[in-house]
Amino acid sequence: MTYLGQARAALRICYFNGILPLWRQSTLMIAIFLTPVSFVFFLFVIAPRSVFAYGIVGGILFTALFTGNGMLNDCAYYRLERQLQQIFVASPVRSTTFVLGMALSELAFTIPAQALFLTLLWITRPFGWVALAGLLGVILLTWLMATTLGFMISTFYRQLREIWPVGTMVFSTLSVIPPVFYPIAAIPRSWQWAAFFAPSTFASQLAEHTVGLATASPTAAAALGDPTVQLLGLLGATALFGTAAAKLARWRER
Amino acid sequence: MEILTAEGLSKTYAGSRGLVHALDHVDLDIPKGRLFGFLGRNGAGKTTFIKIASTLLLPTDGTISLFGEDVVRHPNRVRGRIAVVPQEGRPFYHLTPLEHVREYLIVRGASTETATSRAEEMVDAMGLRPYASEPSYRLSGGLQQRTLVAMILATQAEFLFLDEPTIGMDPFARRQVWEVIRQAVRAGSTVLLTTHYLDEAEQLTEELAVVEGGRILYRGTPDALKLRVGREVRLQFEGSVTREELEPFGEVYVDRERITVLTTRDRVPELTQLALGRRSPINVGPVTLEEAFLALVGRSIEEDSPIP
Repeated sequence: MTYLGQARAALRICYFNGILPLWRQSTLMIAIFLTPVSFVFFLFVIAPRSVFAYGIVGGILFTALFTGNGMLNDCAYYRLERQLQQIFVASPVRSTTFVLGMALSELAFTIPAQALFLTLLWITRPFGWVALAGLLGVILLTWLMATTLGFMISTFYRQLREIWPVGTMVFSTLSVIPPVFYPIAAIPRSWQWAAFFAPSTFASQLAEHTVGLATASPTAAAALGDPTVQLLGLLGATALFGTAAAKLARWRER
Repeated sequence: MEILTAEGLSKTYAGSRGLVHALDHVDLDIPKGRLFGFLGRNGAGKTTFIKIASTLLLPTDGTISLFGEDVVRHPNRVRGRIAVVPQEGRPFYHLTPLEHVREYLIVRGASTETATSRAEEMVDAMGLRPYASEPSYRLSGGLQQRTLVAMILATQAEFLFLDEPTIGMDPFARRQVWEVIRQAVRAGSTVLLTTHYLDEAEQLTEELAVVEGGRILYRGTPDALKLRVGREVRLQFEGSVTREELEPFGEVYVDRERITVLTTRDRVPELTQLALGRRSPINVGPVTLEEAFLALVGRSIEEDSPIP
């Protein structure tokens, strides 16, 4: 199959695995909203108003990161429970096409939630088209990073029950512990560099910078406060997980 | 002309009690256009063979080629020409049978028009028309299985791997599926089919292999397998008779509540007298593939292989 054919296949997988189910079972949308909206609501109630915008950015990134959890669970479910990955392996569809199609369907699930958070952010802290493009870029890179990681992890397991806690653990760690929902200023400047061990920190700092929120100013490794370095960091993490997925993920069983 | 050739194909897993030889130096070739059956108990190695041949699993040893291409080294050269019904597969949750067939064909590269018309034809051929617009989560297990089989048969792939395609279907649906499989072969596809239903193997396959413990015990036609038994008649007793009493009459197999003896026609009156004397229900008929399997393997096909 040509590259064009593979691209068409990926879009088609997104259509029948993402858009159609969302259309037919709109409660799925609520499931995607629920956790990040709860976090944002919690912040709205207990935190000072100045922190609310950080919470909304956190909601955006949490939603993007949790596409990885959805990817992990869906791919594992299709492979182990429904044996559906087999019918794609034994077909002209390449592994990258399948992964892209599945990842796009995870992205489709999050579009309503992202539209809500972006609107809330715009109301709280108005931004222009350039900032919107920047935010969308960060969302896409985060989604790409999270879904490749999710797919890779899903291929390592043989039992569905082993997988469920893994996804929650990995993606909660990436989205709740680092400064995704809260300003990095809450971490002492001398320790801010440590937050960048989580690739999601690069994404949160970039997104916050895009809408003019205060970002990292670490005393050690000061370059980490530079948006260009943050972009390179996010690109690097995405490339790293992508390469790891390409090398380590098991499309064919051993 | 052979389209699939396996030589010394082996697959070893680490089991809880040591190494498990799921496939043990299997040699097999399947000619183009053949409807080939793979018979064996659960855990005999059928699915492992199908998984390796359809590029899903890597073997431990041996070689296997499809269309003259090495399946292990160049899987992408064969993937566009094959399709597989996986064992215990289930369709997507939200899609209807019609959507399943159409979308899978489009994903494999068919144009929307071709996919749509072929999906319509397949839904009719598989008896899925009344359920064509129902999402699969509303369908019974048998209908879901039919949907999955429809997706794969609609591909018209050159080589079709069907791993227990009719499991969970009612007898009428099974016959419908058999007819579609026969049509696929008439249209030029080669089919490797595994089944637990011996009547299915008897009705459908032109040639079969019996697998046990990862090895091929028999390869030939279903009729030739029955002839190997060397007996003409099967009598099944439901209790009241012991193995020792029946052994002088021929080969005896005990399967759960039933005792089966394979014998010659001239011994039938004596055995029916014995059954009448014991008031034991008796079932008499010609030797079937089930008895042939039992005679060859020593166990019923219903009996699972030991857990490794």
